[in-house]
Amino acid sequence: MRIEQHPIITFNKGRKVQFTFDGKVYEGYEGEPIAAALHDAGIRVLGHTHKLGRPRGFYCAIGNCSSCLMVVNGKPNVRVCVEKLKEGMAVETQIGRGDIK
Amino acid sequence: MIHTEIAIVGGGPAGLCAAIKAAESGAKVIVLDRNSQLGGQLIKQTHMFFGSQKQYASHRGIDIANILISKLEDYKDKITVMLDATVIGLYEDRVLTVDQGGKYIKIKPDTLIIATGASEKFQAFPNNDLPGIYGAGAVQTLMNVYGVAPGESVFMVGAGNIGLIVSYQLMQAGIKVKGVICRGPKFGGYAVHASKLRRLGVPVMPSHKVVYAHGKDKLERITLIKLDENKKEIPGTEFDIEVDVLCIATGLTPLAELLWQMGCEMKYISELSGHVPLRDKNLMTSLDGIYVAGDVAGIEEASSAMVEGSLAGLCAAKAAGHIHPDFEALVADCHKQLYDLRSGPEGEAIRKGLSKAELKEVGL
Amino acid sequence: MLERTGVPTKENIESVTPLKERLSKGPVAIIECFQEIPCNPCYTSCKKGAIKELIDINDRPILDPEKCNGCGVCISNCPGLAIFVVDESYSETEALVKIPYEFVPLPKEGSFVTGLDREGKPVCRAKVEKVLNTKAQDRTPVVSLIVPKEFSMTVRFLSLNDHYSDNTIVCRCEEITLGEIREYIRRGYQSLEEIKRISRAGMGPCQGRTCSQLIMQELAAATGKRLSEIKMSAFRPPAVPIKLGQLLGGDDHE
Repeated sequence: MRIEQHPIITFNKGRKVQFTFDGKVYEGYEGEPIAAALHDAGIRVLGHTHKLGRPRGFYCAIGNCSSCLMVVNGKPNVRVCVEKLKEGMAVETQIGRGDIK
Repeated sequence: MIHTEIAIVGGGPAGLCAAIKAAESGAKVIVLDRNSQLGGQLIKQTHMFFGSQKQYASHRGIDIANILISKLEDYKDKITVMLDATVIGLYEDRVLTVDQGGKYIKIKPDTLIIATGASEKFQAFPNNDLPGIYGAGAVQTLMNVYGVAPGESVFMVGAGNIGLIVSYQLMQAGIKVKGVICRGPKFGGYAVHASKLRRLGVPVMPSHKVVYAHGKDKLERITLIKLDENKKEIPGTEFDIEVDVLCIATGLTPLAELLWQMGCEMKYISELSGHVPLRDKNLMTSLDGIYVAGDVAGIEEASSAMVEGSLAGLCAAKAAGHIHPDFEALVADCHKQLYDLRSGPEGEAIRKGLSKAELKEVGL
Repeated sequence: MLERTGVPTKENIESVTPLKERLSKGPVAIIECFQEIPCNPCYTSCKKGAIKELIDINDRPILDPEKCNGCGVCISNCPGLAIFVVDESYSETEALVKIPYEFVPLPKEGSFVTGLDREGKPVCRAKVEKVLNTKAQDRTPVVSLIVPKEFSMTVRFLSLNDHYSDNTIVCRCEEITLGEIREYIRRGYQSLEEIKRISRAGMGPCQGRTCSQLIMQELAAATGKRLSEIKMSAFRPPAVPIKLGQLLGGDDHE
């Protein structure tokens, strides 16, 4: 959900772009972190852990904690809280630690 | 290898003020920041700052960031800003290794200012890793930088200034805050922040803690318990609250890896919220020419971070051979400002912590 | 206690309340800052020199009510949003309370809102006299509320929901709304007794225990009287509902 009205801040959003999450098409703003666009779309679970298979969302949102690792354009272990959204990105839920290709 | 007189790691309030004062002194400076914009955590602080005019009191953090950035631009010929540049290593020969957009860069500065800030503390309770449980900084980033609501309703753990301020900011963004708790019988933040929340009808509840988070894939509900005056659980006082976001604001801890890597003398000081470098009055660490400023030297308010930045900038420049024409007066003024900011009852813990972190007296 | 609840105590408030004579003279700042913190914009923003110099930046602000003209510049400059201006000279029965309000949407001038106390609880209906939102305010607009005088030191925030709007139920026994009461007052029924008789508000099973207070507030607001000047209506037995049979079967006549 986007904050439409704010007493202090005017949000400068980039242009609207499309991306996919696990094959489904979503919209976000270019240049915002992938995690922000996913969160807006109501997606909280970004991955499942390697050992216990627990659901994972982001935690710090500034690139400290690496809780938000996802597969982006086939590349695993991308910190989506700081990775900027681009047109046509393919974002996938990461299961475990990701594979070396 | 890039050579510079001063490298500053971190472009938050401390790093920016350090860069300005170092450049003003005549030194060549490189400012490194891992983000794509300068300002550090200032860029999400929508509230007015405390302090005095010298620390931009009454200005909002977001505006202070812009003021400092525009001052930086006055010294374009002296200051090089490297954004999206994460320092990944700092070696004994004082070489910084940097990852900038996949490129591996080495920088060798004459003197160095570490102003890396802090990271958030976490809390241990069952299911604390469920999506929907976020650090207060994350919630602030999401709503104040990117304009995305963190959820429908939020519960805040921690009633220090960050917990109280972020709760107020959530309400400003139209997101319901169901309550704010802390373990102790008194909240830790400024009373005026708590009063602001109470007027909005937000419950501020000291002597409570989270004992359980519930939810399948994401947070749905939390269980709280009441604590007695000694922070001991009172059995039978558990109750549940439905929320989709739990915000953890239980404090920060210095982000000091680079100082450890270099071999600075470090000490755990609880009043400064973690391991901090020992330093002299002018913020030089146990290693000659390596300075610190801001939260990495001990968790405090942004107003002190800015003054520390100015102080470290002046002194690092001097160490690099550039003495500011008003050096003595400016350094004395920085000391005076820091003294003032820390001299009240709220600064008691900081004063105690700093006395334990003192390296030695310097003769200036 | 303030540091446990976040709500200033009665003693806190009394310690910053100017004398009655000063309050009745005109607008004056009420600085509800009760903790020594390193902060001084109130002092530096006051052009009248009404706030004692903060020699130590941690000192609490002390206001000289005689020097303060209630201009309100300090309101938007206080990072703690802890300053309000109260003007009890506004009218015979009403006071003006100026409140910092950093929310959207802003209330509309002339509209009715609900005055809230320091715990966010509804206190009274309030009319928005003015919304000051200039560049100097820097996104901390100041809303002036007209409130009954007795609430000048109680109302410290507002809710855009008019809790006291026309379709609000006043008398739950007879289901009489505020709108109906206001209409009767307009038509000239200007005492509690008259309103009770014409509307039946207060004649239900609760015997006015829940509604009288609200109707009296409304009468006070409409007629410009103080609550203490509104006469109670007559009380007659039975004080609680009883079965008619109890009366019929009653005690022997004396």
